[in-house]
Amino acid sequence: MASKQKNMTPQQQKYQQLQQKHELKRPVLKNCIKAFWVGGLICAVGQAISYFYIYFFHFTEQNVGNPTVATMVFLSMLLTGFGVYDRLGQFAGAGSAVPVTGFGNAVISAAIEHRTEGFVLGVGGNMFKLAGSVILFGVFSAFVVALIKTLLGMWGVL
Amino acid sequence: MSSCSQGPNEKDSQLALMKTVNPNPTVTEKNKGQDKVEKIEKEVESFDEIYDVAVVKGKKDTLVVYKVKHMQRFNMKEIEKDLNKTLEKKYPKENFTVSSDYKIFLEAVRLVERKNNGSLSDKQAEKRFNEIVKMSSDMK
Repeated sequence: MASKQKNMTPQQQKYQQLQQKHELKRPVLKNCIKAFWVGGLICAVGQAISYFYIYFFHFTEQNVGNPTVATMVFLSMLLTGFGVYDRLGQFAGAGSAVPVTGFGNAVISAAIEHRTEGFVLGVGGNMFKLAGSVILFGVFSAFVVALIKTLLGMWGVL
Repeated sequence: MSSCSQGPNEKDSQLALMKTVNPNPTVTEKNKGQDKVEKIEKEVESFDEIYDVAVVKGKKDTLVVYKVKHMQRFNMKEIEKDLNKTLEKKYPKENFTVSSDYKIFLEAVRLVERKNNGSLSDKQAEKRFNEIVKMSSDMK
């Protein structure tokens, strides 16, 4: 940063100072609180759905996560399609992107965006543009963790 | 309509995941080992980390299901191990199935309720009991 300023002309430095003076400060705390509440609310909905599956279907606490995640992703996909999730994302930021619902949003929003380029090259080719990295690194990190767990198990640590 | 005929006790299982239920320890066969089951329940309740216990005894197995206090949920495995050890030491002849899974707890509460209501015969209760034990052992 300091070296950058050295390379600047006095005029540029003046402009930088002026810009810093007028720049709007990001309401970090307010954003965090919003993200916390909305993210928590999404998780509460997820918990309610998992209780629903435990009560009315033959899912145990161990495997109820699978249908719950599927339902949450499906709901967020629907909401993205209807344009509701975008507004939620605008309001809550990371609160709506970090839970698994953000994954559904990433898939569908990319699909909608590239719909005009056709179904195969447009929707099919770009659907996982954003979510692809989530899947890739998710699978890879799961592989690494499983490998470590297996090795620790073989050595008798776990 | 069906909720009218369920009786007041049926509400316990409806809220079993939200509140403390502590159902009466039950034996699927009448007058066989009721005292022992009550003792087992007291034994389990004496654990500080545990707060809601259901014990059901069948012909071969004894099902012990419980809820763990929220902050103790990090030690679920250790608690289960300790509980298993204690029970097997005190009752070496019994074959225990121990679980803290909500689904198993809910099904145990439902079984106790239906048994107490008289809507299940001993034979049906034993059959349902075995299904619950199988469900619990499938998870391991």
